[in-house]
Amino acid sequence: MSNETHTADCGCQEYNELSRRQFLGAAAAGTAASMFPAWLPKIVLGKTYASNRDVIVSVFLRGGADGLAMVAPYADPAYYTSRPTIAIPRPDATDANKGIDLDGFFAFAAGMSGLVPAFKAQDLLVVHATGLQTNNTRSHFDAQRYMEVGKPADPNLITGWLGRHLASVPPMKAGSLLRGIGVSNGLQKTLVGAPQTLPIADPANFSIGGSVNTQPQRLSFMQSEYGVGEEPLRSAALDAVNTVNLIKSVSFTGYTPANGVTYPTSSFGRALRSLAVLIKADVGLEAAQVDIGGWDTHSAQGANTGSMRNLMNDFSGSLGAFYADVIATGYTVTVVAISEFGRNVRENASGGNDHGRGTVMYAMGKGISGGRVLTKNWITGMLDRANLEAGQDLKVTTDYRDVLSEIVQNRLGNPNLDVVFPTWTPTMMGVTR
Amino acid sequence: MSKTPSDSERPEAEKTGRRAFVFFGALAAATMLPSAARAQGRTRARSRRPEPVLRPPTLDHGAIVPNENVPAFAEWNADTDGLSRLVRRVTMGITPGEAARAKAMGWNGYLTYQLNYTRINDAAVENALAARYPLTSLSSDQLFDADAGQIATQLRESAIYRAAFSQRQLYQRMVEFWTDHFNQDLDKVGYLLVADQRDVIRKYAMTSFPQLLKASAHSASMMVYLDQNVSSSRAPNQNYAREIMELHTLGVDGGYTQDDVAELSRVLTGWTVTGKGQFTFNASVHDQKAKTVLGIAIQGLTGADGQSEGEQVLDMLVKHPSTARFIATKMLKWMVTPTPSADQVTAIASVYRATGGDIKAMLRAMLNIDWIMAAPMKLKRPFHLAVSSLRAVNANVSSVSTINNSLNTLGHQSFAWDTPDGYPDKIEYWAGNILPRWSFASSLSSLNSTTTIQVDPGMYRGSSPAATIDIIDQGFFAGEMPAATRTALTTYAGTTTLSDAKIRELVGLALASNSFQWY
Repeated sequence: MSNETHTADCGCQEYNELSRRQFLGAAAAGTAASMFPAWLPKIVLGKTYASNRDVIVSVFLRGGADGLAMVAPYADPAYYTSRPTIAIPRPDATDANKGIDLDGFFAFAAGMSGLVPAFKAQDLLVVHATGLQTNNTRSHFDAQRYMEVGKPADPNLITGWLGRHLASVPPMKAGSLLRGIGVSNGLQKTLVGAPQTLPIADPANFSIGGSVNTQPQRLSFMQSEYGVGEEPLRSAALDAVNTVNLIKSVSFTGYTPANGVTYPTSSFGRALRSLAVLIKADVGLEAAQVDIGGWDTHSAQGANTGSMRNLMNDFSGSLGAFYADVIATGYTVTVVAISEFGRNVRENASGGNDHGRGTVMYAMGKGISGGRVLTKNWITGMLDRANLEAGQDLKVTTDYRDVLSEIVQNRLGNPNLDVVFPTWTPTMMGVTR
Repeated sequence: MSKTPSDSERPEAEKTGRRAFVFFGALAAATMLPSAARAQGRTRARSRRPEPVLRPPTLDHGAIVPNENVPAFAEWNADTDGLSRLVRRVTMGITPGEAARAKAMGWNGYLTYQLNYTRINDAAVENALAARYPLTSLSSDQLFDADAGQIATQLRESAIYRAAFSQRQLYQRMVEFWTDHFNQDLDKVGYLLVADQRDVIRKYAMTSFPQLLKASAHSASMMVYLDQNVSSSRAPNQNYAREIMELHTLGVDGGYTQDDVAELSRVLTGWTVTGKGQFTFNASVHDQKAKTVLGIAIQGLTGADGQSEGEQVLDMLVKHPSTARFIATKMLKWMVTPTPSADQVTAIASVYRATGGDIKAMLRAMLNIDWIMAAPMKLKRPFHLAVSSLRAVNANVSSVSTINNSLNTLGHQSFAWDTPDGYPDKIEYWAGNILPRWSFASSLSSLNSTTTIQVDPGMYRGSSPAATIDIIDQGFFAGEMPAATRTALTTYAGTTTLSDAKIRELVGLALASNSFQWY
């Protein structure tokens, strides 16, 4: 994308204004034009930032998670006629795998039971019929990109919403060396642009290897050799050196979770366990992006057993463990979980579902007004063909940015919503307490 | 001009390695660094790297903006013939042998040599692969009952080995490219992937795009991966119908609609798998009604004729102008520059249209000296990094199992990307995962195993620390080691006689250096 080229003098007003300011960090001079296009408003430095902000753990359910299987509108008869083989049984059914009633209309699938304690404690909010309201792509990759950068169909915006959040607030802890982490082998788009942020698939094994005696000298080699190199490798290398030293002081293997919690041994469970360690170690971590994949259930997703059930067990079991270990014990952490879209209301002949639109998202934390399923314009007969988008899909009645904006502003203490979600005017819905 | 150099044309040192070869050693010697060439050491003026024009944009609290246009090291552009830059683009890692070959043949000669890959004798590699990884030669029918773990290991290790040691290097680059383009997850398709790799990707990687696409569309593995095998007229599954347009041909902005996805999914009903991994058309689940795809009416056909509806759409797709642009853009990004210009895309797309999607013709058109010399560097993805490291260290290689395991940590194990878009080729995705690259380099340089990989520090020992660094320069950078790396290695080496352990560390640091991450 040639329009991302950085030039020494972009001549745009935004850059000129920014360049007059005192920059933090080692690399002082720079051009900001390409990342923050000219239409973006200037970051408001005059605003005060809350000193006690939540750490955010952002989860992406990749593949298009079937919200109607996770949180089933069991009181709507059309749900059962649309899904003869994969519907979640009503909470009053005799089925051992019956749904878990949430509010008389919606029910968790049995596989979601790990999140029941958080829901009952009113720390878990479920928002139904969410997604991208302003773009109806059914491409995984477009939809994920649009949600992660925080604005649909803008090829010029390549940084992620969480990356811009971190870049537009001062560090929660002065001098923090690791403000953000993508629990991944590659940095997720959500975090692109974030300062002091690395993808680390396994924080417990973060070492340069080789002889312990020469590790400091070899890290110095990297510091000087990459230090004269180009971005983004340069910052990644310097952050990696700092992070090696930081993580050395943290014991992952000796960690005992609170409340007798055992995390699932899945990669999602292990990721959340590592994050719990880093959060409790108070190293200055402010944001983490974690992925859980496999939700593209075109076939054989099953209802009470099968791939969907396994995914839900992992998702709710891991997040439930994190809730009991971290959130219930008083750490100020907010968790959000989104997926790029939902799936068709009617099941297909393969016992699965094709790409749809509206799905569920989740917000969890002591600052979240939870214990309910939040909907907007969920009308009677929502699942009737006449009320479906394109005759097949649950409509998106709440844009995911409405939910996230409120969290960014009220829990992450960042007033720069126009930077985090450019051109989006959020409607606050009472997501936070 | 494009024949394989005969033995008599090779430098003396290439003919006989000085080490006792184990399983792969002899093969490695044919492609790898001749020790004589190392000792000779091309001398060249080392220009200081100019102040980079592109600085990290910084904003308020230090946002890091991905920069796709990283200018090449001055050392790499110092030779106006550009041959070393061409070699870096068309191989899995420059070696002195490959650099010398390009010098001897010239730009067009070397490019033609690499393009006409079937004329390069690769029998030694293929024979070794067949002996070492026998499962990769078997049919799906034969593999049906084979051990899934062994299939996975053999498929992955053979991919590493072939990429590193095949003489057909440009071809291997394209095999990697198409493997991502037609990505499949081994966890989902299992044994079926062996045939897909062999009979689709490797068979057609350098033929024409229409041939390749059609082979893929008749691959049992692809049918299973994208749920085409469970689609039926009663409820068509849209997965393959969508991805063949979005990812394989037109591109997401190529002009198709959700209706086209639905219609094509009906056209393709019946394309499925039977028996032990055989593609077939099952007329009994085919939707026989009329359809409209991309504005073209498709007549509904009955019986075995129903398959021809899909064939008709495949023909439409490969001839569609969006496909020409989509494939041209993606190949340009892979081979030339992460940010191709509109003119470059138009030029290569017109070659696609003029030649019926001839892959070699497109490659020849884009691999011209002006474009290559002006192109920014590209960041090696971990597979490329691992393979180029293996090519650089010129070790005795008995097994690449350690490389395969490392690729898992590096986030780039072959056939493990689960979504159909394939591993990204974007710098912002890969740049952050830098520490595993360093620990990989450290671990490779310390290997001294007769059953896996044996790196011999004696091969790098010069008469002084500076001479040792010169040898590493020749072997790893074809004599074009950037100044910053030389300075840092010199500081690390010190002035006293180097121990074997320290030489290994220098090798590891060179492989871990910023300079070695690019091509």
